[in-house]
Amino acid sequence: MRELAKKRLNENLKQSVKYLTLVFNDFFILALIFLVGALMFWYAEAMKTMPTNLWFYKPLTGFILWLPLLTGRFVTLIKEADMQFLFTQDEQMDEYLKPMHRYSLVLPFILEILLAGIVLPFATVKAGISVWNYILLVLAMLFIKDAELEIEKSNLYFGKKLSFGLVSLVALLIAMLSTYYPMVGLALGVVGTILFAPNFKPSFGDKMNKKLLFDWRYAVESEKARKDRVYSVFSMFTDVEEKQVSIKRRKYLDFLLPKSIAKENPNLFLYRRSLLRNPEYLNLLVRMTVFAILISWLVQDWRWALGLSCLVIFLTVYQLLPMATEFDRNFMYRVYPIERQDRGKDLVKVLTLGLLIQWVLISIFWLLLLPINVNLFEAIGILLVFTALVVATYLPNRVRKINQKNFGIR
Amino acid sequence: MTLKIEHLTGGYTGVPVIKDINLEIKPGEALGLIGLNGAGKSTTIKHILGLLRPQKGKITLNDVVLTEQPTKFKREVDYIPETPILYPELTLKEHLELTMLSYKLDEKKAWARAHELLKMFRLDDKLEWLPIHFSKGMRQKVMIVSAFLADTSLLVIDEPFTGLDPLAVANLIDLIRKAIANGKMVLMTTHVLADAQQAISNYAVLNNGTIEVIGSLQDIREHYGLKPDDPFDKLYLALNREDHGNA
Repeated sequence: MRELAKKRLNENLKQSVKYLTLVFNDFFILALIFLVGALMFWYAEAMKTMPTNLWFYKPLTGFILWLPLLTGRFVTLIKEADMQFLFTQDEQMDEYLKPMHRYSLVLPFILEILLAGIVLPFATVKAGISVWNYILLVLAMLFIKDAELEIEKSNLYFGKKLSFGLVSLVALLIAMLSTYYPMVGLALGVVGTILFAPNFKPSFGDKMNKKLLFDWRYAVESEKARKDRVYSVFSMFTDVEEKQVSIKRRKYLDFLLPKSIAKENPNLFLYRRSLLRNPEYLNLLVRMTVFAILISWLVQDWRWALGLSCLVIFLTVYQLLPMATEFDRNFMYRVYPIERQDRGKDLVKVLTLGLLIQWVLISIFWLLLLPINVNLFEAIGILLVFTALVVATYLPNRVRKINQKNFGIR
Repeated sequence: MTLKIEHLTGGYTGVPVIKDINLEIKPGEALGLIGLNGAGKSTTIKHILGLLRPQKGKITLNDVVLTEQPTKFKREVDYIPETPILYPELTLKEHLELTMLSYKLDEKKAWARAHELLKMFRLDDKLEWLPIHFSKGMRQKVMIVSAFLADTSLLVIDEPFTGLDPLAVANLIDLIRKAIANGKMVLMTTHVLADAQQAISNYAVLNNGTIEVIGSLQDIREHYGLKPDDPFDKLYLALNREDHGNA
């Protein structure tokens, strides 16, 4: 079982590296540099003016250091077929889960240590936590994460299951307490790690737990949900083949659809509904819009806001391009007598509306968040011209090339 | 108004799965395509639907050659697949609207027909549902309703009875019979001959990618040396023997 776990971990690592390479592409690195730079600049400026030792600084430090604990859920890599083929291996599952447990610790530990480094000046200078206590606090957080994973592991067996929400809430309280009494937090973390280990459970647990009966259905469902969350993160930046898209009806957006189908054609009909209901596309549009607003607010300068928002609009279009061929995978799309000749134009029409909504939202938030002057109104105008140019030149050209490459459609 | 398949040879790769298939279905005629798994039934259907390009041969419907005018050809074909394939982002109502748009149907007349079909398959109160909320059988019913809504001259049906409740099977058989009576052409693959023979009297037996015999079930029984009252299972046993004999 340990060999199987290692094999699956290797495959998973390869897959993660593949997607991470795609996520951290040139565009994203550029955007990230700007965002982190803006954030660090804001942090450094704030540190100069911030008063010291306010009452909420310690709980705030605990809260910030608790955030990485939300990442890195227990990785089991259990597959649906395991229910059939590993069904008799309940007693060996602990062996299988050991390397999985270690693997699951990597991401939250890296994030915790990185964030701890960033928060260090605030915690020691402004919140008044000594360096030694701060180290103990960070250690406590690492043990708490380990205890959380032990709980998740024990949930994989039949018996009482503790919800992640409840566990996280307790972890938050311990994190906040630890900023005052780091030794207590550390002790709680260590005790939790030992107490919740499934192997330790027989002396506490019910009859079911004594047998260590593995809850296959729960394990499969949890892993599916975990993978879906990971794929959702990757799919913000790139196409993820394995991701199961769960469509949302979003009836409240129906006002954006034509009332009658009289003026519709099959491609327009499909693209409109896909943009509004496929979370991959609508979430991307929303995310990128929020990103443009957030970054504009952080830089507080119309020139930077304009440049970065132009970049965001371009990246939005770039990432929505897979819509061009999205229905080709549907068997019935090819069986139905649907003309593909002009579908590129239909996609451009639909995306134009989406991008105009994005422009309107960015402009409104600029007016609310940035200093209002003539330059800001000029920037709004320039952003509209840029959006129109992208929609009129880049988008149709790329869509034409995609269709031409796939079907020889001009 | 005829479906003509002439010397059709094809498959998924360069290796032909079906070889020199010749079939003809006239208006008001129905043909059942039967054979063991892997005999080439689905491959033949995929060629008729234009999903695979023939290596040799020609498929024409009402003198329209599939490879020359695919959209015009497809406008006269509707299909009920074995595994229902719906658009996850469209509600049941929107699936019907898409069918109306694709086949350029008169909206008013199409909705009148749609309501009849929806009621028949007990879907009339589920118009706003997304496919995720449907069971496999209900999805299959959506495919059936869409297919009979399109009102084309050729109906291609692949293993239609899988996953349907007995009431839906009876309704489907009734619809197929009416379609044939109204002059439509029907091509259907199935293993459930007991149900199929209620609507279809002519069958073509596919074995190893070639058509071995075309005729009534009685003709087919005789061809394989079976008695008139032998159960259909024996036909498949006979096909299995042939298959091994050829190998």
